Amino acid sequence: MWHGWTRREDERLLTGRGRYVADIVVPKCLDAAFVRSAVAHGRLREVDCAPARRVPGVIGAWSAADLPDLPAVPRAALTDLSTPQAVAGREWPSLATDRVRYAGEAVAVVIGADRYRAEDGAAEVGVRIDPLPPAVSTVEALDGSVTLFDGRDNVALEGSAGAPIDEAVWREAAVVVEARYRQQLLLPSPMECRAFLAVPEGGRLTIWCSHQAPHRLRDELARVLGLAAERIRVVVPDSGGAFGSKSATFPEYVTAAFLAVKLGRPIRWIEDRAESLVAATRGRGQDQRVRLAADADGRLLAFELNIDADVGAYPQLGAGLPMLTASMATGAYTTPLVHATVRSVLTTTTPTYPYRGAGRPEATYAVERSMDLLAHRLRMDPAELRRRNLIPPERFPYETPTGRRYDSGNYSAALDLALKTLDYGRWRAEQAQRRAEPGAAPLGIGLSCYVERSGGEAAGLHEFAGLEACPDGTVIARCGTASSGQSHETTFCSLVAGPLGLEESRVRLIEGDTGEVAEGVGSFASRSAQLGGAALRQAATVLIGRARERAARLWGLPPGEVTWSGGTLRSGAGEPVELTLGDLVKATGPLRVDERIRAHTAFPFGAHAAVVQVDPDLGTVRVLRLVAVDDYGVVVNPMVVAGQTRGSVAQGIGQALYEGVPYGEDGVPLLRDGLLDYLLPTISEMPPLDMAETITPNPSTRLGAKGAGEAGCIGMPPAIVNAVADALEVTDPGLLRMPLTPDVVWQAAHAGEGR
Amino acid sequence: MNIALTVNGRAHRLDLEPRRVLADVLREDCGLTGTHLGCEHGVCGACTVLVDGEAVRSCLLLAVQCDGRSVRTVEGLAGPDGEPHPLQRAFSAEHALQCGFCTPGFLMLAAGALESDPTIAADPERLRELLTSNLCRCTGYEPIRRAIQRALLQDTRKPPERSQTGSTAAIRPASPDQL
Repeated sequence: MWHGWTRREDERLLTGRGRYVADIVVPKCLDAAFVRSAVAHGRLREVDCAPARRVPGVIGAWSAADLPDLPAVPRAALTDLSTPQAVAGREWPSLATDRVRYAGEAVAVVIGADRYRAEDGAAEVGVRIDPLPPAVSTVEALDGSVTLFDGRDNVALEGSAGAPIDEAVWREAAVVVEARYRQQLLLPSPMECRAFLAVPEGGRLTIWCSHQAPHRLRDELARVLGLAAERIRVVVPDSGGAFGSKSATFPEYVTAAFLAVKLGRPIRWIEDRAESLVAATRGRGQDQRVRLAADADGRLLAFELNIDADVGAYPQLGAGLPMLTASMATGAYTTPLVHATVRSVLTTTTPTYPYRGAGRPEATYAVERSMDLLAHRLRMDPAELRRRNLIPPERFPYETPTGRRYDSGNYSAALDLALKTLDYGRWRAEQAQRRAEPGAAPLGIGLSCYVERSGGEAAGLHEFAGLEACPDGTVIARCGTASSGQSHETTFCSLVAGPLGLEESRVRLIEGDTGEVAEGVGSFASRSAQLGGAALRQAATVLIGRARERAARLWGLPPGEVTWSGGTLRSGAGEPVELTLGDLVKATGPLRVDERIRAHTAFPFGAHAAVVQVDPDLGTVRVLRLVAVDDYGVVVNPMVVAGQTRGSVAQGIGQALYEGVPYGEDGVPLLRDGLLDYLLPTISEMPPLDMAETITPNPSTRLGAKGAGEAGCIGMPPAIVNAVADALEVTDPGLLRMPLTPDVVWQAAHAGEGR
Repeated sequence: MNIALTVNGRAHRLDLEPRRVLADVLREDCGLTGTHLGCEHGVCGACTVLVDGEAVRSCLLLAVQCDGRSVRTVEGLAGPDGEPHPLQRAFSAEHALQCGFCTPGFLMLAAGALESDPTIAADPERLRELLTSNLCRCTGYEPIRRAIQRALLQDTRKPPERSQTGSTAAIRPASPDQL
C-alpha cells in the first residue's frame, strides 16, 4: 500500500474508485429521459406519449396532463435570494403545462429500463407547440410585445441599493463617464452534468444527488412531495464539480423523485451534455448602465448602476441574485454616493441561477471597467486613479453607501503587490515603445481591484459541525457542507486534527449526507471553510473542554488541573495520570459535541492584472500574462486555495474571451454542435499566471478564513477587457462586449474607419 | 452481437446491442465506472481510454468495433501489486485534480502518449497540443501539465523545475524582455 497521496480524496479519484451518482448500482433501477421543447416560446397544444409507451423497454411516459399531481418546482428555501413576490403567479412547472417559455423546457418524461430505452421512447413522443414570439433579451422583454405570464409584468422584481443621486452631482462634476455593459449568459459547465437518483424503500426515499446543499434539497423535496423531512435522506457522493449550478431543486429532480415514489421503483436521471447545454441553468445575464463622476483630481464623487437582469423564463433564485450586484456596486472605493437599481426581467430563456461569483463578477465588472474609462478620460494612470480612491485600511469596518459592512482589508497593499508582481512599470514602458513604433502589435495592460462577498446572506450565515470521539481513539467530524471538488476531507480533517493534536489520519469526515449530519446549509458563496471550517474548529475547542471536564471528574480533580496535549489528557497535580481520548470514551461513555456557528458576511478582496497583445487584423487576443493577488483571510490549505484561484481564473478567462450563449432569431440557443459551439478554455488558452496573496484575517471567526474560490471569476474578466481596451485605445466601451471574440475585437479595432 | 474484449488484461465475452458505446459497456457491463462521460460527443475527453495502446474517446466508439481488441482503463493503470502508476502519484503531488471527474481521461491520454513517446513531456509545445484534447473545469490545467512532466521524471519527491510563472514561460513571455 502506497501512502503518499496528497489529499484524502486522491487515491479513489485517481484509481477509478470514486463514486459519482452515475456509478451507483441499484438493482432494478430505471432511467429517465426528458422530451424538451425545441421552440423558445409557444402554446403547448398536444403532447402524445402513447407512441413512446409502445417502445420496447419503456416503462412509462407522461406529460403534465398525465400527471395532475406532479408538483411544481419548489420555491428555494433560501430566504434572502428567493423573493416570494417575484415567484407568485409565475410558477415553474416540473413539466410544461399549457405554455413553454424556453427552448429546452421539459414537456414529457419517459422512463425506460435503461437510458437507451428511455431515449428510444422520448424520440417517439409527439409534441405540438404553436409558436409565440420569443424575447431573449431584456430589451425585447421590456418593450411590451411579449408577455411571459398572462396578466403579469415581465419585470418580476425591482429593487435598489443606496440612495438616489441628485442630478446636480452629475451636472457639477468635473468629469462623468457613462457606459453600457453586457454580462453575457454563461453555462457553468461542471464536467459532470446534473445527476439524480431516487430510491424509494418502505415509505422512505433515499436521494443520491451531485448537490451543493443536501439539507435544502431534502427540505424542498419533502415539501413538494408531501413527505416528512425525516423520511427523505439526501446523500451527496463524489461530485464532478458544481460552480454554483447544483444548489437548487430542479424540475427534473421533482419529476424523477415523484415518479420513483409513484412507481415504487428506483429512478435515476443522469443529464447528458446535450441536455445540459439547453436545460441547465445559466449564470450572469445583465444589461448594465453606469455613470461615474469624479473631480478633476480623480476623486470619485458618485457611481450609479442600473441593472436590467435577464433572469430567464421562471423567476427563482436568479430573480434575487442581481440584488447582490446592486449591494456590491460600491466596489473597493470610498465613493461617497452610490446608487444601484435592479429590474429582474423575464425572458424566454433557460432560467438564470447562481454561477461561480453569482452577482459579484457583474458588480466588479461595472465598477472596474468604469474606472479605466475614467482614467482614460482624465489621462491618469489607472493604477494611480485606483490608489487615490481605495478604501484605506484604517476605515474598516467600512459601511458602504449600498448597505454593506466591509469587514477588514488593506486594498492598496493588494494593488501594490499586484503591480510589483507584474512589474507594471516595465510593461508600461514596453507599451510606450510599441505605440511609438509603426506596425508594432498593440499591447495593453488592464487592472481590476475587486472586493467580493463570501459566506452568503444573513439567513444563511450559520453552519453545523459535530465531533464524535470514538473508543478506538479516532474522531468523526460531521459538517453541514458538501464538497464538489474543494478537498473538504483533506482540509476539514486537518482543521480538527490540528487543535486536537491528533494525526490527521485519525479524523474522518462525514458530510453531504442528511442521514448522518443533523443539519447543514451547504457549500456555495465560498462559505465552506469560512463557516464550516470555523464551526469544526470551534467544535474541537469544545471537545477538548468536555474531555478535560470528564477526566477531571474521573480523577476527582478540578478541570483546571487536567491538561490536554497530543490527544492525551494528563493530571497536572498530585500522582501523574494520563488517559488517551479513546480510553476516556471507553471509561466514561460516548463523547460527542454538536456546535452551531454564526458569523458575519466576509469580504475577500484583491487586485488582478492582465497584459494582452492584440492582432488588429485578425482580431485575436493573446494574453501574455496574468497576475492574481488575492486576500482570502487566513488560508487553511495553501495548495487547495491556489487550486481554487487558478481554476476560477480559468473560468474568468472563459467569460472574458470565449464563453457565451448566442441565440438565433427564433430564440433558440445556437449550440447545435455542443461544446464545439460553447467554447470552454483548454490548456492552450491558459496564459502564464502569477498568484500572490495578502492575508487580512476575517475578524468574525476565530479561524479567520474568508471565502476562497470565486475570485478569478470576479476580478479577471474586467482586468482582461481593460487590457484589450488599453491595447486598442478604445474609448467607446460599447465596442467591447464579452466574450471578446475575434469578430468583436476586429470591429473594435476598426471602428471609426468610416467603413 | 457477441464480442470478445480484453479489459485491463481480463477477458470478457459480451453479448451486446450493436449501438452500445464502449464507455457504457465498460461502465455497465464490465463494472468499470472509473471511465466517466462528460459530453458524449467527443469534445471533453473525460471518457478517454486506451484501445490497443491508443487513446480514444470511448463515447464515440461502439463496443462492437472493439471486438478482439484490448482496452485499458484507469482501473488498469496501477501496477499488479496495486503500486500506483507514476502519473497517479504525480497528479496527486501536483494537485492536478479537484473534483476528479475529468481525471481518468487525462490520465489515460497521458499514459497513452508517454508510453508511445516519452519525449513528449519534455516538449512544451507538443505536450500543450496533447493536453488541449481534454477539458477540465477545476484546475486551470497548469497542475496537470506539471504532473505529467513530474511523472516523466518518475520521482514524486522532486518537483520539476518551475519558473515563477510556470514553464509555459517558454511559450509565452513573462516580461517584456522575453518578447
